[in-house]
Amino acid sequence: MAISAAASAEQYNYDIVRKFTIMSLVWGVLGMAVGLYIACELAWPFLNFDIPEITFGRLRPVHTTLVIFGFGGCALFATSYYVVQRTCQARLLSDALADFTFWGWNLGLLLGIVSYMAGMSQGREYAEFEWPIDLAIAVVWVVYFFNFITVIVRRSQPHIYVANWFYLGFILATAILHIFNNLAVPISLTKSYSLFAGVQDAMTQWWYGHNAVGFFLTAAFLGMMYYFVPKQAGRPVYSYRLSIIHFWALIFLYMWVGAHHLHWTALPDWVSTLAATFSVLLLLPSWGGMINGVMTLSGAWDKLRTDPVMLFLITSLSFYGMSTFEGPLMSLKSVNALSHYTDWTIGHVHSGALGWVAMVTFGSFYHLVPRLWDTKMYSQRLIYVHFWLATIGIVLYITAMWVAGIGQGLMLRAFDDYGNLAYSFVESVVFLHKPYAWRALGGAFFVSGIVLMCFNVAMTVLAARREQAALEAKLAAKLART
Amino acid sequence: MSNTTTNPQKPTAVQTTGHAWDGDLQEFNNPLPRWWLWAFYATVVFAIGYWFVYPAWPVGGSWTKGFASATFSVGGKEQTMRWNTRSELLQDLDSGAGAVRQREYLQKIASADLEQVRQDPKMQDFVRQAGKVLFGTNCAACHGSGGQGVIGQFPALNDDDWLWGGTVDDIRRTLIGGRNGFMPAFREALTPAQADDVAQYVLTLSGIVQPDEAAERGKAIFHGSVGGCYYCHGDAGKGIKSMGAANLSDKIWTLVDVNATATVADKHALVRSVIWNGVQNRRQMPAFGHRLSDAEIKLLAFYVHQLGGGQ
Ligand code: HEC
Ligand code: HEM
Ligand code: HEM
Repeated sequence: MAISAAASAEQYNYDIVRKFTIMSLVWGVLGMAVGLYIACELAWPFLNFDIPEITFGRLRPVHTTLVIFGFGGCALFATSYYVVQRTCQARLLSDALADFTFWGWNLGLLLGIVSYMAGMSQGREYAEFEWPIDLAIAVVWVVYFFNFITVIVRRSQPHIYVANWFYLGFILATAILHIFNNLAVPISLTKSYSLFAGVQDAMTQWWYGHNAVGFFLTAAFLGMMYYFVPKQAGRPVYSYRLSIIHFWALIFLYMWVGAHHLHWTALPDWVSTLAATFSVLLLLPSWGGMINGVMTLSGAWDKLRTDPVMLFLITSLSFYGMSTFEGPLMSLKSVNALSHYTDWTIGHVHSGALGWVAMVTFGSFYHLVPRLWDTKMYSQRLIYVHFWLATIGIVLYITAMWVAGIGQGLMLRAFDDYGNLAYSFVESVVFLHKPYAWRALGGAFFVSGIVLMCFNVAMTVLAARREQAALEAKLAAKLART
Repeated sequence: MSNTTTNPQKPTAVQTTGHAWDGDLQEFNNPLPRWWLWAFYATVVFAIGYWFVYPAWPVGGSWTKGFASATFSVGGKEQTMRWNTRSELLQDLDSGAGAVRQREYLQKIASADLEQVRQDPKMQDFVRQAGKVLFGTNCAACHGSGGQGVIGQFPALNDDDWLWGGTVDDIRRTLIGGRNGFMPAFREALTPAQADDVAQYVLTLSGIVQPDEAAERGKAIFHGSVGGCYYCHGDAGKGIKSMGAANLSDKIWTLVDVNATATVADKHALVRSVIWNGVQNRRQMPAFGHRLSDAEIKLLAFYVHQLGGGQ
């Protein structure tokens, strides 16, 4: 690789990584602030103010879309572009095509959330975009695939690093899921009807829905984990064999389990049984990723005391382990009979989403940002503070939802001495008020954490700019003297 | 995994696979953790067990049915079926502990009259408990969880003022068939001055104002053919339950909150607005005859009756 003139001043395209990193944080702050707002709406409904655009029903998909596809999606674009270039030692083929994915993805999101607030929605969870945006996203995704695969093909390493298997699995699976779930018949620019009907439609939605969890929120973030944990720890990945086995097991099993979202519905009983058992089989393959990450640190545990970035990464793996234990449990018919339609599900979601997805992203970004801007983080202390804010926030959130969910589940099935239902539905809703307030408090902690992170990152970038300018001035002065 | 090199940190321990990426990224070649493998086998065994219990694998045009079963009676005849969500529900409704107890008490209610319920503390307790839940599920959204109602929209059920009658039988009829509150708008029939006069007269009925000249004129309209109010509200203005017409001689108001206003002028304006605009299609009590069983309706009637003002 010729390290000549300005053109190849950078061996890799970091510009695209920087852009996606910043947008991830921007969407993260917005999406979580909206999450906090809808959490408050549930606790104090007057906050809906009878303004249609900001009612719970419309803001909820704004929240899920911004945190999953804005925060999570941009973090995956950023880290996958970074990881694939570095581990293949090849630059992205085309800067223009990389920029295309940046603008396409972010404009699509912006258009999407505006359309939700205007009341347009397909009504499919995590896929509420109407068909024109779906088409645009499909194009962006194909270009993303192209960008990614052309680096892999041009790699100067014989082997493909494990992180890239996960990223590639995620990109391919997401393409398939997105296309099949969104097959629809448009009747106008802003309205369409699904190609499927009845229970088939529900099945398609949750086949998509669970794989959004499996491939978007899990496999892809495992890719992230497989690069940043060993990098930050400075140690080899614990077991290559384990990574192969759990990769293929995960990919294979996830595709089967969507029906555990539809237990006790019109779905045939045998479909729901299979989904339950495949979910149980998913437990250990999921834990494979956790073991591989955590054990990578074995022999260097002291790092947890000195390195806040490592704290983020290892904590995220613990939450990953916890939510992938809770998930199979909730997949059992008898447990789901209690947990479904309650906040237990919401607690499970956020132990995965906050504990795993957001924490692993924060940790990776704290590793990434100083390297992207070629400097040090502005403050290590603030990273610690962020860690504790986030952890307290998660714990409040999850415990509040366990209380709310299990409490409501038990109330709805309680009988009195005469065999009557002991509580009316309204009473179970009244009971939720307190846990909802606690959840909102937890959310407030979590949001303050990411706001603090943005401050830390902004100060880092500004300092880097200043250093750069000073360096250039010195250089210019030197040149002038000679 | 052909070429393996030694672990740089612990030369004697596990080896890496020999690949290196991005400078220092390597992988150890550790075997699968034993406990992990055994735990995975355990989940496989569990899954297979689960398949034997429940309906599971599609075979041909059908599926394996599983060995679990559910027993319930249809028309007095006991029947056992392989487990599925439907048979489990039937079994629960048939012989679940709660269902059995509830059925016993509901049967008692179905054949009891008001006096019998009153005399039996257990039955009374049952009515209060079961009624609270039935009411919470079906009625509270409109009438409020204590039956307190919303003035203008939903009548209070916890006072002794009734539009359609407050005996258990009246309430049952209300629940079975539903009700539609109606009063014509008198802007068609009266002049503004006449409406003022009638409103003044109505206020004398509950003693809010003393009879005066305007009230005398209003009285003539109320009882004459111009207004004809007596036709529904009765000669003494005490309401007629077969019409669902309100009693005007007490100080309870269901359409406008007269008691909440301070001045007589305001009270007058509110009453006049009812006369002027009437009530059309905005006070609908849904029919529950096809939604709840006879015993449940009877139970709810007992429940509403004991909320405060049963007759
Ligand atoms: C959709 C709202 C709604 C629901 C639900 C509802 N009601 Fe009503 N109910 C009304 C309205 C409105 C009226 C007044 C009708 C009128 O103005 O004549 C009424 C009237 C009544 C009356 C007559 C009151 C009187 O003064 O004579 C009774 C008794 C009653 N409801 C009981 C019930 C019970 C018991 C339930 C639950 C099974 C129930 N309602 C559910 C709206 C509702
Ligand atoms: C500050 C942090 C957050 C708060 C306060 C918050 C709050 C909420 C609330 C109130 C809901 C609606 C729950 C309901 O319908 O009862 C919700 C749903 C959801 N949130 Fe969050 N959220 C936060 C962060 C996140 C993050 C970071 C992610 C993902 C990466 C996420 C993913 C989701 C998902 C997937 C749902 C839908 C759950 C379901 O349908 O079962 N949230 N969130
Ligand atoms: C082995 C792993 C897992 C299994 C078997 C599993 C299983 C389940 C089950 C049974 C439900 C409840 C379905 C219902 O009753 O409606 C659920 C909901 C959910 N889970 Fe998991 N889970 C796993 C891991 C995760 C992880 C790691 C995340 C997040 C990163 C996650 C995110 C979600 C979301 C977002 C929902 C809510 C979907 C909705 O209703 O909108 N899950 N999961």
